Amino acid sequence: MVERSFDVVIVGSGAGGGTVAKELAPLCREGVRIAVLEWGPKLKEEEFTGREAEMAEKLYFDNGGFLTRDRAMTLAFACAYGGSTVVYTGTSLPLPEEVLSRWGVPGLEHADLQRRSEKYLTENNVHLLDEDRINDNNRLFLEACRKLGYRVEQFPVNVKGCRGSGLCNLGCPNAAKQGTHRVQLPAAEAAGVEVITNCKVERIGGRECVVTVTNPPFGEPSLWPQGRYRIRTRAIVVAAGAVNSPALLLRSRLPVRLPALGRYFTAHPALILVGEHDRPITNFYGHPKSYYCDHFVESAKFLLETCMYFPFTTAKNLIGFGAEHAEMMARMDRMQMILVLAVDPALAENRVTVDSAGEPVVYYRFTDEVLDALVESQRVAARIFFAAGCRRVHAPAGTGFFIGADEAHRLEELINREAFKLGKVSISSAHLMGGCRMGTDPATSVTDAWGQVHGVPWLFVADASLFPMCSEINPYITIMALADRVAERVRMRLPELPAA
Amino acid sequence: MPPLSQRKWAFLMCVAGCIVPAAAVLDAEGRSRFIAIVGKALSDRPRSIQRQFGLFLGLMRWLALPRFGAPFDRLSPANQDVMLRWLLDAPLAKLRGGFWGLRALAFMGYSGQTEVWPSLRYTPSFNGNELLYG
Ligand SMILES: Cc1cc2nc3c(=O)[nH]c(=O)nc-3n(C[C@H](O)[C@H](O)[C@H](O)COP(=O)(O)OP(=O)(O)OC[C@H]3O[C@@H](n4cnc5c(N)ncnc54)[C@H](O)[C@@H]3O)c2cc1C
Repeated sequence: MVERSFDVVIVGSGAGGGTVAKELAPLCREGVRIAVLEWGPKLKEEEFTGREAEMAEKLYFDNGGFLTRDRAMTLAFACAYGGSTVVYTGTSLPLPEEVLSRWGVPGLEHADLQRRSEKYLTENNVHLLDEDRINDNNRLFLEACRKLGYRVEQFPVNVKGCRGSGLCNLGCPNAAKQGTHRVQLPAAEAAGVEVITNCKVERIGGRECVVTVTNPPFGEPSLWPQGRYRIRTRAIVVAAGAVNSPALLLRSRLPVRLPALGRYFTAHPALILVGEHDRPITNFYGHPKSYYCDHFVESAKFLLETCMYFPFTTAKNLIGFGAEHAEMMARMDRMQMILVLAVDPALAENRVTVDSAGEPVVYYRFTDEVLDALVESQRVAARIFFAAGCRRVHAPAGTGFFIGADEAHRLEELINREAFKLGKVSISSAHLMGGCRMGTDPATSVTDAWGQVHGVPWLFVADASLFPMCSEINPYITIMALADRVAERVRMRLPELPAA
Repeated sequence: MPPLSQRKWAFLMCVAGCIVPAAAVLDAEGRSRFIAIVGKALSDRPRSIQRQFGLFLGLMRWLALPRFGAPFDRLSPANQDVMLRWLLDAPLAKLRGGFWGLRALAFMGYSGQTEVWPSLRYTPSFNGNELLYG
């Protein structure tokens, strides 16, 4: 095994890891050696083709369909230089103050998080799109919500030179989205941080980790030759995402017992809902996600967002098959789409574990409250579709495949819990949170409010797994703000940590 | 065309044609693209999942026997439809989940082909903004 040594090793290069890398990068000038070890590849620009099956295979774990243990939900998270920021939509919201107070983490203040969030809003060029960049799919949602009296807001997005390909979730082919692969990682590399792609960290033990470098048949080759390495370091920052960070720590030999490790996993379980207009609308041209409606978050625990997906994702999310399914799919240019996300509770039993090979296994139980929220959200979405002028809608909890506009007054009856069976409906999640939650009590948390693992001064976590509960909004800005805090703490602690 | 046997592929294509009617009339090229996409997706999955999927296909074939007196692929299209609708809403979550996986693969094999996108009226462009308003 080849031996290497660094002062700081960061595992993962997504929203969390990319931020830590850029924040620590100025230390390179003082001779501090920093490496980011990233499992995924760095794709060449021409490899962003916008082809769904191909991009899903190259950029996502399990093609974007990682299944929970009972197979009731698929989880989407990326494996790439830039992590899930390569495939996110780039909607950029700081954590609301009331959510932070629900989190109740002593030492984590709203003013501090807000200040750091603002830094990333600026750094990532976050702004509101001009009206002439809003497509029908988004505009109709806005107008319908207003007509119905639902609170609706425009999403700030982090694009630069967006050409409206609508392919954000397959990796922007125009390099417009300002993920860590475009902003923080190149800045860190320019300052001297080494980013080693195609490099899977297998386990951590003491102040070292064992990794394997394997180049897939696409993307840039890794900076290091293929093979196994033992890397000694003074500090390790784990930022492998809410599934892989707990999994990595669980398969590692740590000097402490962490009973909360892997637990309190939350996911904003989501459904893709579709309405059909009787004429073509602009939907797959232009930015796909411009508005959200948080009117029902407090009262019914769900959020609605505009969205527009690709043929396979759309087909999979419509319940059923055969002629009626094909009929709807043959009219993608008439589809209006809404993504609904449930605000789910942080339960100890919802957790990441590892199997005998050390691979992650996610246990997730849907509470009645979450299922009720998902059913009610379909009624609300149907009202929005009809108010927007759709001739019919498809609801996964619908008693039939289509609900016509003439049936709009019977939504309570036509969309119900009995028809909403787990395993039958396609529930997915792209907001994976928790598993290494922050807190003060080592019995119910894994790290302190600065991301340091309880009882292990050289080990930090800096990603979505830190969330003690779900964020109730799109999470990436909060992840960056938290990672910024972790980087500050690492910088402060580093002089005290012995050499590798 | 790993990781299924020739016979299982034939059966999968038969079921896929019920799920996505257009998959039943794919030309030879479309069919081999279908098999390539599904084959790749399956071989990327752990062996245990591949085995379970193969078993599910076998189970599906014979589940029709007690009710209709013949395996699934020998049923009339109407009875195949009845069988699939039963699986969609099956009382056992495991059966529903197995069928969900099968549906997902059928959709992937078909709509994962960029060649079929125009028939779905899905014609994305890297310069979508230029096409936004006429
Ligand atoms: C399709 C999609 C759309 C989204 N849209 C939005 C949005 O619009 N707004 C928003 O706020 N959020 C959005 N999100 C969520 C957001 O992208 C994530 O919450 C965020 O990127 C998570 O950051 P992270 O650092 O926790 O993990 P990630 O960004 O996923 O990064 C983790 C990295 O660690 C690497 N890794 C894992 N294990 C190892 C290992 N053992 N060794 C080495 N490397 C490893 C992975 O390959 C990955 O690159 C979206 C997510 C998806 C999937």
